[in-house]
Amino acid sequence: MERVIFEARGASYRYPGAAAAAVTGAGFRVARGELVGIVGPNGSGKTTLLRLLLGALAPTAGQVLAFGKPAASWRRRELARRVAVVVQREEPVFPLRVREAVTLGRYPHVGPFRPLGPHDRDIVAEALARADATALADRWIATLSGGEWQRVRIARALAQQPEALVLDEATANLDLRHEMEAFELVAALVRDRGLTGVLVSHHFNLVARFADRVIVLARGAVVAAGPPAEALTAAVVERVFEWPVDVLAWRGTRQFIPMRRADATVPHSAGRERSEP
Amino acid sequence: MRFAGRNAARAATAAILAAAAAGCAPAGRVAERPAHRVVSLAPSITELLFAIGAGDRVVGRTTWCDYPPEALSIASVGDGLHPNVEAIVARRPDLVLFYTSSSNAAALERLRALGVATDTIRMDRLADVVTGARRFGRLTGTARRADSLAAAFAAALDSARAVPVPGPRVRVVLLAWDAPPVVIGGGGFQHELVTLAGVDNVFGDLARASGQVSIETIAARDPDLVVLLGETAPEPAWAARPEWQVVRAVRERRFVRLTGSEFARPTFRALAAVRDLRAAIGEARR
Amino acid sequence: MRRWTALGALAIAVLATAIVVGPAGLAPGDVLRGLVGRGDPTTIAIVRDLRVPRAVLAFLVGGSLAVTGAVLQALVRNPLADPYLLGLSGGAGLGAVLAIALGLGGAWAVPAAAAVGALAAIALVYRLAVVAGAVLDTRVLLLGGVVVGAFAAALMGAVLALSPAEDLRSALLWLLGGFDTASWRTLGIFAAYAAAPLVLLYRASRPLDLLSLGEEPARFLGADVEPLKRLLYVAASLLTAAAVAVAGIIGFVGLVIPHAIRLLWGHTHRTLLPAAFVLGGALLCAADAVARTAFAPLTLPVGVVTAVLGVPVFAILVRRWSA
Repeated sequence: MERVIFEARGASYRYPGAAAAAVTGAGFRVARGELVGIVGPNGSGKTTLLRLLLGALAPTAGQVLAFGKPAASWRRRELARRVAVVVQREEPVFPLRVREAVTLGRYPHVGPFRPLGPHDRDIVAEALARADATALADRWIATLSGGEWQRVRIARALAQQPEALVLDEATANLDLRHEMEAFELVAALVRDRGLTGVLVSHHFNLVARFADRVIVLARGAVVAAGPPAEALTAAVVERVFEWPVDVLAWRGTRQFIPMRRADATVPHSAGRERSEP
Repeated sequence: MRFAGRNAARAATAAILAAAAAGCAPAGRVAERPAHRVVSLAPSITELLFAIGAGDRVVGRTTWCDYPPEALSIASVGDGLHPNVEAIVARRPDLVLFYTSSSNAAALERLRALGVATDTIRMDRLADVVTGARRFGRLTGTARRADSLAAAFAAALDSARAVPVPGPRVRVVLLAWDAPPVVIGGGGFQHELVTLAGVDNVFGDLARASGQVSIETIAARDPDLVVLLGETAPEPAWAARPEWQVVRAVRERRFVRLTGSEFARPTFRALAAVRDLRAAIGEARR
Repeated sequence: MRRWTALGALAIAVLATAIVVGPAGLAPGDVLRGLVGRGDPTTIAIVRDLRVPRAVLAFLVGGSLAVTGAVLQALVRNPLADPYLLGLSGGAGLGAVLAIALGLGGAWAVPAAAAVGALAAIALVYRLAVVAGAVLDTRVLLLGGVVVGAFAAALMGAVLALSPAEDLRSALLWLLGGFDTASWRTLGIFAAYAAAPLVLLYRASRPLDLLSLGEEPARFLGADVEPLKRLLYVAASLLTAAAVAVAGIIGFVGLVIPHAIRLLWGHTHRTLLPAAFVLGGALLCAADAVARTAFAPLTLPVGVVTAVLGVPVFAILVRRWSA
């Protein structure tokens, strides 16, 4: 059992024909049993970094390892048995029922030919239950709301029985309850089942409360990495997201409140923390 | 008074001629005077013009007009079914003769709009050669020769029909194409030729000139011979294909090839064509 | 299970009917006797050497077109894809028309030329769609197919415009599709060409399910997306090229049958592909029987019959789907 799930060493990637690199010199580790948050604004290279970690892209410089091997050298089915990914947007063209969609998550284990058995069906049922999607099981996916569809995809990822779960902005369409439930679900899996979680999000406040470690990206470079208390400061957030924030200490974590233009006349507590009265 | 009388006589003659011309040539705008610069848009029309002695008046032909050989020295104006209006007008015609077809209707309209005299004629059956000759005779001022040729041809056709043919009836299929199989039906000119030759067309019951059928139908009607139109090889390549072996005449390799242009369109050469056809069929029967 | 039995029964019924009916007007009893080799030799020859191979060939071609349609719809992620979308029909048509216009000899000249034309179009479109190394961009595939098809059709038009009327008519009739060249030999050749692509495509059923989710989700679920796309494209194209070479261009089967099966059954490709094969085969076999018999002794082009049958079927399906 490898201790380090993902590792990047000075990894860079430039898309063919692009003027600038999407990711430059990224170096960090994701250890087993951690919940790591990757935050950064749009265009900071979060999705490209994920593709590098998952071997979908080979780095143009440096190295990216998954489970100790170069990520791009993994055979897709083998990697899919160990890592499940919920991508940002998925729009299937053909009608499918939810149960069938989730069953596709068994592919890494059954492959192209082996028939599905009761064991597979049990895993699918459990995955649906954990993602709170059992009630949706017989619906057509075209009839689902954005949030429901995302829960179904999380269920499918769980059906892969992975060691690591990667969610790329997967809570973007969810309402408050379902977003919190998704984060809680991942946190519970990490805590109780020893899964490793990688959450890409720009909801830095939630990431600050859930993640064990945070990696902050800006313009393709890692500007900060470490526990939220160290890596996610007001200075970092303001620089990376290019917007002034006020800081609130809340139950042991730092929460950032974006300032309004009207508030600009009031000197804001940049760098200084304010406590709740 | 003498001049007035002569003018009146001229006017009256012109009126009578015009009436006669209008009466004999119903379709299209027709010139009052005989045409001297004629563009022909079909090989059968070109051939007929030469046959009635109006060949010197032809100033334009289609690329497919190849008979008589003198026609080849005339300038070509392109294709007859999709006529090139510009090329036609460049020949400065006073009459353009069209073959009846929907594909050249647009060109017909355009020429009429330009004020060019046009006429449309059907040339699908042997009877059309007779009416065509008479009409073209009037149009080109060669009426006397044209009418006598037409009458002679009509009489020869009638006497050919009147003579019964000895021997057991030969049954043939007239095959225009192999894939898909296209046969000539009762409405086709080649049907008339074989009928005059004393031979039965197994697809004579089809009213139209040609039609696509399946090999099965040909096999079921069991012709004695296959008459090939436009085939140059002694034995067609497709005759070796397995699906054609179901047809007895193909299996036994009984083919008659009709390659001359006299077999492709109705002309004054039709009776000679019938003679050649009878001889070829007689050969193939043995 | 009941559905498979019903589908199988339909297939057998259609095949049997296609053998019994025909323009030669043979009585059913004579047909049956002809099958076992008794009776009039012409009847035996018609039944055994024409009708049986023709019905079976129409079935195989229809099945192949339906499978190809389903696969291409998943590959380009577009429900409106059909086997001829990739420029194949243009290439095949151009090859056939050139063979007719140039008067190329040989019994197999036209089908061979059609196959060569189709393969040339496949290669051209593939070349256009391969970007950045070996990645096959399916959007370019679609667009490239339309462009190559249009180019070939334009050239075809030019050739036909310069041809005499009989060649024009023959070329058009060939393009409209037909099974007049069906024989045991043609059937054997087609079956030999179609077997490998059909098997390969069936074996790719589950990866096809993944691919219809999208390339990235498919990749993360374990599919080898690039090799899969190449395999699908090449197998589907070869299958269509063989069908066109044998039977001309027959539309609607590849487009409509996969949707019919999806609506009635499901769209996991493990059931979709075999079911589409059987239903597509039955449709084309029936259409050919109608084409041969409806206006006997005249034959309609098969492509016309499939369109006439296909349009109302499609309309009904679309209404049900959007309901």
